[in-house]
Amino acid sequence: METSRTTRIALTIYGILIIAFLYLPLVSVAFASVSKARYLTFPIRRYSTGWFRDALASTEVHMLALTSLKIAVIVTMLSMIIGFFGALAFARYQWRYRSLFQKLVLLPIFFPQTVLGLALLMWFNSLGIIPSWKTAIVAHLVWIAPIATLIVAIRAYSFDPALEEAARDMGASTPVILREITLPLLMPGIVSAGLFAFLLSWGNFPLSLFTTGADSTLPEWLYAKMVSGYSPLVPTLGILSVIGSFLLVLAALAGLAIYRALRPSQ
Amino acid sequence: MPANPILRLKSVQKVFGRFTALHDIDLDIEEGEFFTIVGPSGSGKSTIIRLLVGMDELTSGEIWLRDKRIDQIPANLRPTCMVFQSLALFPHMSVGQNIEFPLKLRKIDPAKRKARAIELLELLHLPESYYDKRVTECSGGERQRIALARALAFDPEILFFDEPLSALDYRLRKSLEKELKDLHARTGKTFVYITHSLEEAMVMSDRIAIMKSGRFEQISDADEIYSRPVSRFVAEFMGEVNLFDVTAVDGQIKGTGLIALPSNATRTIADQITAARGATLMIRPEYVQFLDEGQAADFEISGRLNGIYALGSRIHYEIKTEGGQILTVEKLREDRHDGSEGDTVRLGWNADCAHVIEEAPFEGRIA
Repeated sequence: METSRTTRIALTIYGILIIAFLYLPLVSVAFASVSKARYLTFPIRRYSTGWFRDALASTEVHMLALTSLKIAVIVTMLSMIIGFFGALAFARYQWRYRSLFQKLVLLPIFFPQTVLGLALLMWFNSLGIIPSWKTAIVAHLVWIAPIATLIVAIRAYSFDPALEEAARDMGASTPVILREITLPLLMPGIVSAGLFAFLLSWGNFPLSLFTTGADSTLPEWLYAKMVSGYSPLVPTLGILSVIGSFLLVLAALAGLAIYRALRPSQ
Repeated sequence: MPANPILRLKSVQKVFGRFTALHDIDLDIEEGEFFTIVGPSGSGKSTIIRLLVGMDELTSGEIWLRDKRIDQIPANLRPTCMVFQSLALFPHMSVGQNIEFPLKLRKIDPAKRKARAIELLELLHLPESYYDKRVTECSGGERQRIALARALAFDPEILFFDEPLSALDYRLRKSLEKELKDLHARTGKTFVYITHSLEEAMVMSDRIAIMKSGRFEQISDADEIYSRPVSRFVAEFMGEVNLFDVTAVDGQIKGTGLIALPSNATRTIADQITAARGATLMIRPEYVQFLDEGQAADFEISGRLNGIYALGSRIHYEIKTEGGQILTVEKLREDRHDGSEGDTVRLGWNADCAHVIEEAPFEGRIA
């Protein structure tokens, strides 16, 4: 159907407004990070990149980033493994309690994260476990592993069951089928699940708040600073974090593209 | 029945919950045979093949491969291989990797694997350059050949096919049917093929088994099944057919509107009908003649020409008899009948073209 000129103009304006609505806050944070002033004011009168230098040099920031990174990396790896096997149980294999499992998996996602965080904290206390960044991994997993499972399951649903049967018919045992057929075919789903897991863990605040104990992650520290003791270090770290995430996504996409390109000639 | 079958099924039964998919199947398949199982959907043909390759377990009975019982052996340890309906080519592998897959599982070294894959590409008339091609970039017919090459690389004792041609268009299917028959002759392997198309079965098979509701209705060669079906079901399964309910009293054949001239030939048929408790007289459309004035045949019936359908090399005529039955007559283009719709016509055929289907009163007559 041919769209008229006015429709096209209206759609363009609408699109621009949506993008502005979504990205303007991010842009203003970026501006705040390069402001020389101590407080968040607008418009910014004098610019400085001093806060970036401070952030990159600060040992406190290094510690925070390291804690966040440790949690996110471990959560990502575990989510990919749990997501892979969870998706097989969710989408591929017929077993007795499958439909119950499909519903239970979704439950943690529906739970408000603050409530989930508090509940987990009480659970750790009653077990006598002292909360630290390690307990935060468990807390993140409770919320993120189901999401990873769903992402891999979408991929697993589009999978012809005859492929595994054919491999078995030609003499492949179950572990060989998993390695040669199932895993490579679900790989794009597993990589996306890993990406989501990393980003969700890296940026998570409510679960970390309750379950990191004496340790602190970047989002927790940012929140604490905003509540009391604001400095442009807050938006600076925010922007650095966004840039880091963005680079990670780019790296993952590039990795997937390289994997695809190399595959036929392996 | 062959003396030393490569595959033997002994009273094989398969039950799904309260539904019995296969009732006490017995079957012998000969070494090197092209054996086809034909049946409508739900007849149990797919169930049989899944049992044979080991993807489902049978409820009772035995399956023997030569002198080895195989029904308890898992699919991956059976020396048989199947070409799937969806072909099941691995989309993340190249054509060459697909074909080499069974060889890789046997840890055969890469150089030998590749040599065998190239050999198979050639056997199936695919260019060598396809070795590195992505499976997803191949056409339907090419994928068919790749799936075959992969199955042959496995070098199975028996090669099973689960309707692999059903997704292809008519012309490609026809040419692949012939190619498959040719491949069977060249490899000398035992092929067991499943299809819902009896036409497809007839082109390729040495023997055909017709299935209906979990039982074999008839097992025979193509010619026998076409000209001497054992039941109305088999007769109607293979295209157009004219069937008459008949009885015989004192050597006189009786059927609505049907006239049988007394002769030795019709007498023989009458005796067959008398012997059976219920009988159907079958005549294939191509054996029915339009009778001219004064011309006679062993059997005659008159009616009105209802429709003329051109099918290319052949023409179908639809005739409605005085008794209201619709008959089909088939003529080659060159001996077409000069008549037009609405004409009254007299049809006839000779006794040696007719076949008596003896059917017990309660079997196969529900439909």
